[in-house]
Amino acid sequence: MDSGATMHLAVSLFPGIADPSPEPGFSRLTGFVQKAEAAGLDMVLLADSAPASGGGAANSPMPFEATTLLAALATVTSRIGLVAAASTVAHQPYNLARRFASLDIIGHGRSGWNATMTQAPREAANFSRPEGFSPDDFRRRSEEYIGIVQGLWRGWDADALLFDQSGGRFHDPEKMHLLDHKGGFFSVRGPLNVARSPQDTPVLVLSDLSEADLDIAARTADVILLDDGPLDGTTERYDDIRRRVTGCGRDPDAVKVLTNVAPTANSKLAALADRLEKEFRARGCDGFNILMPAQLSALDDFVDLVLPELRQRGLFRENYRGTTLRSHLGLAGGGDR
Amino acid sequence: MTARQIKLGAFLWATGHHIAAWRHPKVHVTAGIDIDHYIQLARTAEAAKFDMIFCEDAAGLREANIGIASQTSRSIGFEPISLLSALAVQTSRIGLVSTASTSYNEPYGLARTFLSLDHLSGGRAGWNLVTSASPIEAANFGSTGLKPHADRYERAREFAEVVTGLWHGKASGHDGQSFSVRDPLDLPRSPQGAPVMVQAGASDVGRDLAARTADVVFTAAQTFEEAKAFYDDLKGRLAAYGREPDDIKIMPGVAPVVAETEAEAREKYEELQALIPDDVGVALLSSYLSISDLWRYPIDGPLPDPPESEGMKSRQALVIEQSRRDNLSIRQLARHFAGARGHWRIVGTAAQIADELQARFESGAADGFNVMPAYFPGELDAFATLVVPELQRRGLFRKEYEGRTLRDQLGLKQPVNCGAA
Repeated sequence: MDSGATMHLAVSLFPGIADPSPEPGFSRLTGFVQKAEAAGLDMVLLADSAPASGGGAANSPMPFEATTLLAALATVTSRIGLVAAASTVAHQPYNLARRFASLDIIGHGRSGWNATMTQAPREAANFSRPEGFSPDDFRRRSEEYIGIVQGLWRGWDADALLFDQSGGRFHDPEKMHLLDHKGGFFSVRGPLNVARSPQDTPVLVLSDLSEADLDIAARTADVILLDDGPLDGTTERYDDIRRRVTGCGRDPDAVKVLTNVAPTANSKLAALADRLEKEFRARGCDGFNILMPAQLSALDDFVDLVLPELRQRGLFRENYRGTTLRSHLGLAGGGDR
Repeated sequence: MTARQIKLGAFLWATGHHIAAWRHPKVHVTAGIDIDHYIQLARTAEAAKFDMIFCEDAAGLREANIGIASQTSRSIGFEPISLLSALAVQTSRIGLVSTASTSYNEPYGLARTFLSLDHLSGGRAGWNLVTSASPIEAANFGSTGLKPHADRYERAREFAEVVTGLWHGKASGHDGQSFSVRDPLDLPRSPQGAPVMVQAGASDVGRDLAARTADVVFTAAQTFEEAKAFYDDLKGRLAAYGREPDDIKIMPGVAPVVAETEAEAREKYEELQALIPDDVGVALLSSYLSISDLWRYPIDGPLPDPPESEGMKSRQALVIEQSRRDNLSIRQLARHFAGARGHWRIVGTAAQIADELQARFESGAADGFNVMPAYFPGELDAFATLVVPELQRRGLFRKEYEGRTLRDQLGLKQPVNCGAA
């Protein structure tokens, strides 16, 4: 938990949108994200509609792939963090690292990559791997993949670009580093051809973790999303993750644990505030990821009714303290002053 | 029915197409980390009614020699899909075309990503298919070496077939030599029928692939004869695929330097040429020619014979032909190519440049041009404010956009729906 005792709040946006609306898709999503930004939320998580993932058939599918949507949303917002899901099956690690590095420069240090540790059913069959991966291979491959992406994100030092026009030195060659990765699944020389992130590296959000993935997450993640569970188990679970993070030689506050919460249509909003307060004060997590129902208007209820309650109880900050996603999350490298 | 008009692409690249652009006093030197700069360029191009913005791409550094790379601005920049997605919601009419490789992507993911860009822009996306010729890129994708030219094109042919099938809503799966895909795309159909297909490969096998699948072809042709021969050859190949000559727009690259007077334009060009370090010019030339040890040869001597290349076959032939024709030394050739990268350079007034473009357009050597400004934003601004009005006065270029989608602007047919679900 932060010493400031303020919780972190994210909202998740899913591919299916149930609201009947004549408004084009992107304007509606802009309205949603700008509302979340005006409310001061840490970040919006953009799910990616995996093929055959079984979204509600009644919903109209969102016509956008998540990383392209993130780029567009970055130009109509200025403070809120924007995190896109992107599959390790659908992208080569070099391409994915490059896409997110570029997104982070477009958004001035507000981007993050949400990697799922669970193989989407049937997905590999659309990427020339009809047999898919065994769970063990998928885990080892994911770990190697994440290491490559994070390594590529660090290929250029923050002060590598000189722009020395008269001296003819655009960058300092000593401050550009090859990755030279050779592993079981990939070999990648590097470096990226995108400059260093304004927030050091894009934020890595890991989700859909099994027990066996926890150590990988402890080594690599900035944010871990965990499913909701009985309250008395969450403190133990949170402590376990912090122990693992410390065991990897990292500061336990370098990883933020957020619990997924799905407000149901009939859940009393005051009860929701109570529930979030209880888990947070019991040191069960660092904050919450609110899984928005398919109706975009559900955000209005959360922002207008639950947030003021949380703020009144001193559980959520009034304003953004910095400009990068890392600064919102209280992570190092965020350029916080 | 209005008369046939010139199509124009604004080819955005790094700080400019001239290799020394980044050292020019009026360049925006931080272009590669400044999204607002690109939004401004896109708006300039849209206000001038360009058909499209074009971003070329490579998944890796451009230059293996790090010392050389550090003297150019081309080692860092935006990844083009994310860049164009950002520009899509900051513009409303201009086409957005990006290069993407068939060697380092899978067709399902690429089709889905470009379709998403197409939805974000309301039907203005295009994909420039490349097979990737650089060993630097190959090393970022686990390859021990570059695949032979013919193999790359066979993969590209299958890749293009899968992508267009997915865009057209093809419901049944694909199980081929290089790729297997089970499901249709999970996004709605394109607002323009399908994103525009662009190609630039000029080798024999590249031309056949273009004749089969492309809506637009970019090419490098320095002389009128080269341009005309390419144009006639490619248009001649279309009938074999049941297509008409107008189904493909051929747009050679042009690297103009324009000013109010010819003397000013010359001065501007010489100012840029003087900023090229010799080692950078020679390195650029050696990578085009796949002669890795070009620096060993006397810089004021002639070009050595190059090895048979697995890289850019057609570009290489062009360079060699030029050096023999004009009896150029390595230094002269390096400087000459460094500026325009083998494309067609015109230095002069708006009227002189318009004359040259008009001549090629009207004698059937081009349907339009991919404009490669020497440095940004200055030379794009100069083309927009000097050359575009001159072309408009002559009735050769639009004053207003024809429609909303890229296919509308290019005057392309809606693609035929080949077997929707």
